[in-house]
Amino acid sequence: MAGAADPLATLLAACGRGDRQAFARLYRDSSAKLFGVALRILRRQDWAEEVLQDCYVSIWQHARDYHPGLSAPMTWMTSIVRNRCLDRLRKPRLEVSDSDAEMIDNAISDDPGPLADLERSKDAQALARCLRALEARQRQAIALAFYEGLSHAELASHLRQPLGTVKTWVRRGLLRLKACLAEAV
Amino acid sequence: MRYRDKPGLLDRLAAEYALGTLRGPARARFRRWLEQDAALARRAEEWAARLGPLSHSVQAVRPPARLWRAIQTRLGGAPGSAGLWESLAFWRGLGLAASGAAASLLFVLVALGPGAPQPAPAPVVLRVPSDEMPATYLAVLSDPKTRKPMLVAAASRSSDQLWVKTLDPSINVPDRSLELWAVMPAGQPPKSLGMVGRGDKTMLPLHAVADKSLGDVPMLAVSLEPMGGSPTGAPTGPVMYSGPCVKVW
Repeated sequence: MAGAADPLATLLAACGRGDRQAFARLYRDSSAKLFGVALRILRRQDWAEEVLQDCYVSIWQHARDYHPGLSAPMTWMTSIVRNRCLDRLRKPRLEVSDSDAEMIDNAISDDPGPLADLERSKDAQALARCLRALEARQRQAIALAFYEGLSHAELASHLRQPLGTVKTWVRRGLLRLKACLAEAV
Repeated sequence: MRYRDKPGLLDRLAAEYALGTLRGPARARFRRWLEQDAALARRAEEWAARLGPLSHSVQAVRPPARLWRAIQTRLGGAPGSAGLWESLAFWRGLGLAASGAAASLLFVLVALGPGAPQPAPAPVVLRVPSDEMPATYLAVLSDPKTRKPMLVAAASRSSDQLWVKTLDPSINVPDRSLELWAVMPAGQPPKSLGMVGRGDKTMLPLHAVADKSLGDVPMLAVSLEPMGGSPTGAPTGPVMYSGPCVKVW
């Protein structure tokens, strides 16, 4: 969760009071990460730019709704961006590019490399540990859905599994993740 | 709502909403539930917080500089210029503007007259189509910075059609829509009248004849919105042009 000293939280609070300079700093400090998130899901530069534009307008307008107690500022902003991206995706995209596939294979392997990335941020340590505790196929389905924005049908096609099987992996994986994170607290 | 009786189902939907596997109509429906159910919204936020740290390992990519410029434009241009930053005050401040159509008419004349402090705009000659005579409701919308008239809207009192004439084609913005609003007397939210077309003339249907739909409206305004208009039903972008709406005869 957000430390009291998270500078983005301070900037968001200032945005909520209508401070435009704080908004410019917020953009400077968060836009590269959020643009990366949008590009990963949409895989189109023009769409990612449009979505990010809408999201920053929305962040400015709703900065007052941010509750520091519930999530870190970056998590809050990221979920705004992810939601817009997912709304934008109407057509199924079955292809996952080679570099993406490699990145995901790495992220879901038992080798600690990419997950170690995750562990550099303190609030993510428990999540990384709990992801590792999942069955590999559950972890893979969840990672593909989160990073690539794949729907159930797209997951089924990509993983060459029946739809019902993939849905079960996702559902059970999420349940186990929740239980594991609850223990970690 | 029956879904409230099924906490397990709700939590699963909240999780799949945050993960992104909830899609299409189900996603839209779930979002409507979120808006009506604070406890459910909290569940979804908790799930977003659980999964959010996954984004830490996504590679950051610096967006092009045009993106920040576009955001600035959406929110009202460079610091110090009028726009959304002041537009809340604009929509709120209209109680004052509502006081007296006669004063408004005077304002129109002043705004169009040679006494305006900016470089004198070219005189506007209105040719109302003869079959639309007499035009009883008239609004001239101008740019607040240059005071140059940019649009004229007119409707005859017993007609439910509002004619909008664009005086300056440069008002069109690529990939954005200009939405025309009836600014209501104090305390009431603005009402959308429709999108200003990209050609020089647009006919917008009014929900009732002008005497009813425009009779109480002190002012019209145009805001910059995403393509197709405001997604919320209220203005979201900067106010670009505005002007009093008066009953001429």
